[in-house]
Amino acid sequence: MASLGASSSSAPARAEVLALFRSLLRTARKFTDYNIREYTKRRTVDAFRHNQNLSEPSSVSSAYSEGKAQLEIAQRQAVVYQLYAPKIKSVMDLKTHH
Amino acid sequence: MASKLIASNLRQTLKRTASVFSPVRSNSTSAAAAVTSPAETFEDPNGITIKGVRIAGRPLYLDMQATSPVDPRVLDAMLPFYVTQYGNPHSRTHMYGWEADQAAETARAQVADLIGASPKEIVFTSGATECNNISVKGVMHFYKEKKRHVITTQTEHKCVLDSCRHLQQEGFEITYLPVGSDGLVDLEKLRSSIRPDTGLVSIMVVNNEIGVIQPMEEIGKICKEFNIPFHTDAAQALGKIPINVDKWNVSLMSLSGHKVYGPKGVGALYLRRRPRIRVEPQMNGGGQERGIRSGTVPTPLVVGMGAACELAKKEMEYDEKRITALQDRLLNGIRAKLEGVVVNGSMERRYAGNLNLSFAYVEGESLLMGLKEVAVSSGSACTSASLEPSYVLRALGVDEDMAHTSIRFGIGRFTTEAEVDHAIELTVNQVEKLREMSPLYEMVKEGINIKEIQWTQH
Repeated sequence: MASLGASSSSAPARAEVLALFRSLLRTARKFTDYNIREYTKRRTVDAFRHNQNLSEPSSVSSAYSEGKAQLEIAQRQAVVYQLYAPKIKSVMDLKTHH
Repeated sequence: MASKLIASNLRQTLKRTASVFSPVRSNSTSAAAAVTSPAETFEDPNGITIKGVRIAGRPLYLDMQATSPVDPRVLDAMLPFYVTQYGNPHSRTHMYGWEADQAAETARAQVADLIGASPKEIVFTSGATECNNISVKGVMHFYKEKKRHVITTQTEHKCVLDSCRHLQQEGFEITYLPVGSDGLVDLEKLRSSIRPDTGLVSIMVVNNEIGVIQPMEEIGKICKEFNIPFHTDAAQALGKIPINVDKWNVSLMSLSGHKVYGPKGVGALYLRRRPRIRVEPQMNGGGQERGIRSGTVPTPLVVGMGAACELAKKEMEYDEKRITALQDRLLNGIRAKLEGVVVNGSMERRYAGNLNLSFAYVEGESLLMGLKEVAVSSGSACTSASLEPSYVLRALGVDEDMAHTSIRFGIGRFTTEAEVDHAIELTVNQVEKLREMSPLYEMVKEGINIKEIQWTQH
């Protein structure tokens, strides 16, 4: 959302893209809510898969800056979710522990 | 029903124990649950006990038609307007007002964009119920000199039907169109019901209980032919199916924030400008929203609704593909293990996120109470406190026994495969358990036709 615009003219390096991917997944794991955590993981993987064949430098860099913006949102919201985490976990989290 | 009881219970205990709270957590419901008397709501690290029902964890949520969780991206857009940018969007003399006004106008454009309208045609309200009230009563009151007749359907949401009843008491005439067994309205019946003094046709897009999608384009064409304003309640359709106000020829459309992963307490009314449709305001006051809905525009909520609409536009295709796959998984999973499962409403013209099923030979309330780890509903949340079978299902001609056993599974953006699998497992177990002890099921297996038994005494 609210794409940060201002996409840099040069496309990001492969290492930068992979780092963004890993950061998104790492942030996703921090969500205390089962559904949001699973969604963030799934949406990240699907979005990167969807964009994996982008070759046009401008579209690669706009996808990259979109991903960066999403990462910032996820990082902020993971904190908010941690602050208000319910004491009782979802039955879905309990299930996977057994 | 259970969820309603829990909510009222929580509300009561909140009131009673308000003074005991530590100031830090005083507005948290989890803290409220922890300090209440064990007889009512008790929460410890191993589980929750509410109304004597013990649950190991928070139930998985499959009630998306009642309300949807707020998307974290939506909350992220809203929070600045709760924390620092708290200005009144109607304050014209300082920066706080200007920034709030700018944010509200951006949100207006975001909502308009999702339905193919102009931002000037959007009026923010408190929700779809208010929109429906303004549309049905407001239009008829404005044109009351010449127009005395309204056409709607038997399966509309309660707030449309209740507004119509209100009009009836004032002397207006209402035609409640019947629907077929698939839940769809008969276009010929609609055409033949139109009179010279018909002032409004109000038919919803996606039904909240059974999820069927009405033929909007065809209805819009008929209304255009007779030059009658067409109102539609699109609360359950917004962000889920493509909407275009021009393609459907609607004059008024009700929209809700909390059904599209936005905040509760906000909605939007689409009011066509050309040809202009006029309404009598329900709320008088400061003249906000062009005088149609006075009262300060709640910037954070409106921003949330705008963000939710923009997100819905971006994610519609992705969500739709996923929700359809999950619906198939749920239906096939249940049907693979159970017989006597009926889908209520058309299977072809249906929003995939709403699967309303009836289970033969079991009692609906027992089924719902047995499914305590799954948050589902038998139909509309508004009527879930009543044991009466749903009026929507009765309008479809569903037999009373089947109408009593309906469960609405609501699948959404955040639903997972694992949740669907768990819901299948629990539902199948519970239905099998109830059928095992059901004398009806035994009779059916013995070959007795239970349809011939007369249940009600005369």
